Amino acid sequence: MLEIKDLHVAVDGKEILKGLSLSINAGEVHAIMGPNGSGKSTLSYVLAGRAGYEITQGSIAYKGEDLTAMTPDARSAKGIFLAMQYPVEIPGVTTMTFLKTALNAQRRARGETEVDALGVLKLVRAKASALNVTEEMLKRPLNVGFSGGEKKRLEILQMALFEPKLAILDETDSGLDIDALKLVAEGVNALRAPDRGMLVITHYQRLLAFIVPDRVHVLSGGRIVAEGGKELALELEAKGYAHLAKDAA
Amino acid sequence: MNALPHRRIEDWKYSDLRSAVDADVVAAAPTAAWSVASSSGVVEIADLPAIMPRGEHGAMAELAVSHAKTGPYVRVVKGARGAVHLHLTEGGHGRALIVLDDDASLTLQETVQASDFSNVAVEIVVGKNARLDHVRLGTRSDAVQVADYSVRVAEGGIYRAHFANFGDKLSRTELHIALDGEGARAHLSGVSVLNDRHADVTTHVDHATGNTQSTQIFKNVANGHSRGVYQGKVTVRPGANGSDSRQTAKGLLLSEGAEIDLKPELEILADDVKCAHGAAVGDLDEESIFYLRSRGVSESEARSLLIRAFLEDGVAEIEDEAIRASVWQAVEAALTP
Repeated sequence: MLEIKDLHVAVDGKEILKGLSLSINAGEVHAIMGPNGSGKSTLSYVLAGRAGYEITQGSIAYKGEDLTAMTPDARSAKGIFLAMQYPVEIPGVTTMTFLKTALNAQRRARGETEVDALGVLKLVRAKASALNVTEEMLKRPLNVGFSGGEKKRLEILQMALFEPKLAILDETDSGLDIDALKLVAEGVNALRAPDRGMLVITHYQRLLAFIVPDRVHVLSGGRIVAEGGKELALELEAKGYAHLAKDAA
Repeated sequence: MNALPHRRIEDWKYSDLRSAVDADVVAAAPTAAWSVASSSGVVEIADLPAIMPRGEHGAMAELAVSHAKTGPYVRVVKGARGAVHLHLTEGGHGRALIVLDDDASLTLQETVQASDFSNVAVEIVVGKNARLDHVRLGTRSDAVQVADYSVRVAEGGIYRAHFANFGDKLSRTELHIALDGEGARAHLSGVSVLNDRHADVTTHVDHATGNTQSTQIFKNVANGHSRGVYQGKVTVRPGANGSDSRQTAKGLLLSEGAEIDLKPELEILADDVKCAHGAAVGDLDEESIFYLRSRGVSESEARSLLIRAFLEDGVAEIEDEAIRASVWQAVEAALTP
């Protein structure tokens, strides 16, 4: 589903990713762990198509297509979803209006019929309560005045609503207490499916106790320095990143 | 008055009337024509009385008053309610008088038919515990339009006004509000949506008595070679304690050639007052655009959504649902290329 080969990415002329390779099959959950500054967020932004991230070498194929040639909105319509570490606040656009606009934009791009306001409301309601997203939150401007936990829950609600094929979660656990973390993890686990791939990016092992990955990759200095099964996350927790980075080198 | 106001006069710095219109055209302009329609309630409509109240006005009002021979007079008697649509059908110099007796209320909708030049002075009196909801819906034109309002709000009275501007060759809307009794309130708002046009809204709220309240929310969007201006002065007179004033002025620039000038001005001469103001000009937030695009929204739709979101709290100040909808419709039309 996703095939990243020898990816080099520069931001403001400075190389951040230095030859990263990674492949994800449908139905798999992969975790990327790494210390601050290792390039985790750069990878998530490159996959979502944010401007300012220059691919200097390598390739990204998504379902056999060159992902780098697609606009961010085209990627979304084709099933890529990035749950952001810092979701933006948009005053003046209610959360519900935003959800309806985004859902229908994706559907339109795929040639599907649009869902009317009532239909979107029903879809949202069906998924919101499990994530403890209240009616009141849906009426408020997008993310404005939301707590860190509320923002993250809303990201997962979007993921549930849009039903992406490839979901990337960028430090979704940051700033969450244990109850919020469990709630978010349950939301993510409910979306595990044979036709869906997931990439969970995190600094800490604790999220991976709730979202158990099929593969764990350790990112350090802009490349993957270690790979393994779910037990690798535990090993990292015990020994730290420095140790692994050294072993790999 | 000998010469037209020009950019070297501080108050007209961003709106150079002298270079926008020929002095001969101004001197020769006829008396403006209006149509007045009362859609509901008990409203007296007549020609101007011989003796009119006079409040503080701007530089051009004197000229309007001396040239305009007559004009509409709208009065809502004590305790009555009404709705009036005032339409400027032909340009020139004009004057009008709106009087709300004590405990009266009026919804005033004002529209204009653009002609080459218009200069109107409107006198408004809001009686004790009376309430006026005023919305002025501008057009987009190549005309020079000056409108000057002098409003006196008595004890417990409320004046709510919204000015929707779409720009002219030069457009100047000037408001002088006197909060002239305990509990008097003025809530002013406006949106200017400009594409290669000019619009200047200049307000002066005078907290003449204590325990008076005012708010101002003005939003400007400028595209092409537009110039949007908001000058907002608030005076709190000596002894007008307990006064409360809040002002927000924001500008959104959509092109390199556009300019927005925001000039808040506070003159506080009393001790115990609450005043807050904020002014900021910027362009569309790239991070917000990326966020929306990452959710499937196209770049043009994302921009359009963010522009409407920027204007939203300005238009939301209009309480009458039908009028608010008509203003949104005009905003939509102005934003559609």
